[in-house]
Amino acid sequence: MSSSLATRIAAEHAAASGTLPAQVVSPERRRNAIDTLATEGLPTSRDENWKYANLRPLEKVRFAPPAVGSPGSQGGSATLTAAELPAAIGGYARYTFVDGVFAPALSAPVAKAGITVTSLRNLPTPLHFAPSKSKDTRFALLNDAFATDGASIRVSPGADCPTCIELVFVASVEAQTGSSYPRVELQVEQGARLGLIERHVSVGPGANFVNTSVKVDIARDATVNHYRVQESGPKAIWFDTLSAVLAQGSTYRLHGVNAGGLSSRSTINVLLAGEHADASISVASLGDRHQIQDAFVRIEHSAPHARSEQTFRGISAGRARVAFNGMVVVRQGAHGTDSQQSLRGLLAGPEAEIDVRPQLQIDTDDVRCAHGATAGKLDDDMLFYLLSRGIDPETAQRLLKWAFLEDVVARIEVPELRRQIERSLAGQMQESVALKELL
Amino acid sequence: MLKIENLHVSVDGKSILNGLNLEVNKGEVHAIMGPNGSGKSTLAYALAGRPGYEIKGGRVTFEGRDLLALAPEERAHEGMFLGFQYPVEIPGVNNVYLLKAAINAARKHRGLPEVDAFEFLGLVREKMKVMHMDESFLSRGVNEGFSGGEKKRNEILQMLMLEPRLAILDETDSGLDIDALKVVANGVNTLRSPDRSIVLVTHYQRLLDYIVPDFVHVLVRGRIARSGDKTLALELERRGYDWIIEEAA
Repeated sequence: MSSSLATRIAAEHAAASGTLPAQVVSPERRRNAIDTLATEGLPTSRDENWKYANLRPLEKVRFAPPAVGSPGSQGGSATLTAAELPAAIGGYARYTFVDGVFAPALSAPVAKAGITVTSLRNLPTPLHFAPSKSKDTRFALLNDAFATDGASIRVSPGADCPTCIELVFVASVEAQTGSSYPRVELQVEQGARLGLIERHVSVGPGANFVNTSVKVDIARDATVNHYRVQESGPKAIWFDTLSAVLAQGSTYRLHGVNAGGLSSRSTINVLLAGEHADASISVASLGDRHQIQDAFVRIEHSAPHARSEQTFRGISAGRARVAFNGMVVVRQGAHGTDSQQSLRGLLAGPEAEIDVRPQLQIDTDDVRCAHGATAGKLDDDMLFYLLSRGIDPETAQRLLKWAFLEDVVARIEVPELRRQIERSLAGQMQESVALKELL
Repeated sequence: MLKIENLHVSVDGKSILNGLNLEVNKGEVHAIMGPNGSGKSTLAYALAGRPGYEIKGGRVTFEGRDLLALAPEERAHEGMFLGFQYPVEIPGVNNVYLLKAAINAARKHRGLPEVDAFEFLGLVREKMKVMHMDESFLSRGVNEGFSGGEKKRNEILQMLMLEPRLAILDETDSGLDIDALKVVANGVNTLRSPDRSIVLVTHYQRLLDYIVPDFVHVLVRGRIARSGDKTLALELERRGYDWIIEEAA
């Protein structure tokens, strides 16, 4: 990061600090975040795990959240209607945040036994998720510094809510005016089960800067099914840091779909801290035009007999760049680790780019790590098979692209959400009516 | 129906078909036999328009049209069907999607509206019964995880749904046990009619016990070395291919 950028971030923070709510992040923690950013900087494209991300737009971003009452700030929720948001998913209680601030008028909270969802502004005592030291999670510090609100979700021991909560983060403010800082702090207690949908969308022209921070803490034997859909506007710059810690016997299933934005970077860190913890991270990324979709997933096994799975399917068309960097770290003593990676990229245009990179770092014996990574074009044999059945080349190509993503999309166990995503992806792939009818 | 004149085809720069002549009339069933490497599958693929099968010379007319000028999907629209020796697995595309897309492509070509969903499912169920296929096949990916026999049955199911005027079946019998062979043969026989023609590419005579051909041709080094009726297949079964290869030399 150029020192001018760090200086500007610090200056913007100093100017805004009086308006940043202390209940969301304590002033001390905000200051620490700014200090770390000033001394150590944000990552740059020279950093190993950031070479595919697009960090240039940061130079033009106004990092402070929009001033209260300015056009397009949280006041945007006053003009925003539910019709502009994605259709609600049956059975899920919706909590909407506009430019990082809870919008009760666009939310439909439902009482569920053992589930507490609170706007961070209304939290009696802030939660204590320790800030990460890793350079790869530094955008989370930027969120710490500027966060305006967020969702605190607590699931009581044994609570069972597989169809539960939908968080919708809407960005409306333009990046030159201010930034959005969606924030989620999720604590799932022992033996509980939670189904969570998290969506990121834009209204208006969609030239937003969004920097999301999500912390997930899953206690012993608890299960979380987490669906994340990034459908930001066509000019949005979207950064995201998700960190999850899994205790013994817990299960975390993360299904990510990245389709929107001009430039999107997701950094996902999963720590399997307890024995027999089980993490499955599936990501589908779709890039077209000049889009950049970059995802970095790091799974760390620090306890024995844990299981992890990474699945990535990415399609790059137009002049897009789609990247997935999947890292598995097996610490000493994490014997009996079972880790699988299946990473596949599809090039759908002569000027498109796909970067698929598996990384394994194993510091113990007695582990089973299987990984496969491929990047290529559509399979000629499959294509000819479809043509020989009379299907025209355009439809055949779309069908095959679709099929390629299905490995991930089919795992979405919420039928309504899956259909919405299928339609949205079909639209992204410039589908004709013909394919939509096949769905 | 189909007229092949002096067809030369090469693959990867290697000449495989060397002046092949064949005429298939309406309602006829022709069997193309021959030793491995004689060009049987090349003939099937070249007729279906597979990329990489380079036409070096000759003419093929199908219902009076220049077949070689048509794209693969246009050949299908005109009523040609290739049953693959190794049907391709396409995970993520349902069998039912494929069938519907294929039928609608053909209907569009004929200026017909898309098939009615109810009517379509009724038809699929009826044809699946002929092929002894379980309904769960429909929701599975195309050929995904199918056994060899299931794949071949799926090919014939597609053929029955598409009702081609000319079916070219490339070693549809390979890898089938006797029960599956009977099912597949029965499926093919239900399509036989005075309006349709079938070209069976096969290595063994066994299939021809169940689908009785009108003509049998033996392919050697990319040309038809001998033609006859079904008794030729029986003679090949008895004597092997060597005597024909020697004759052709």
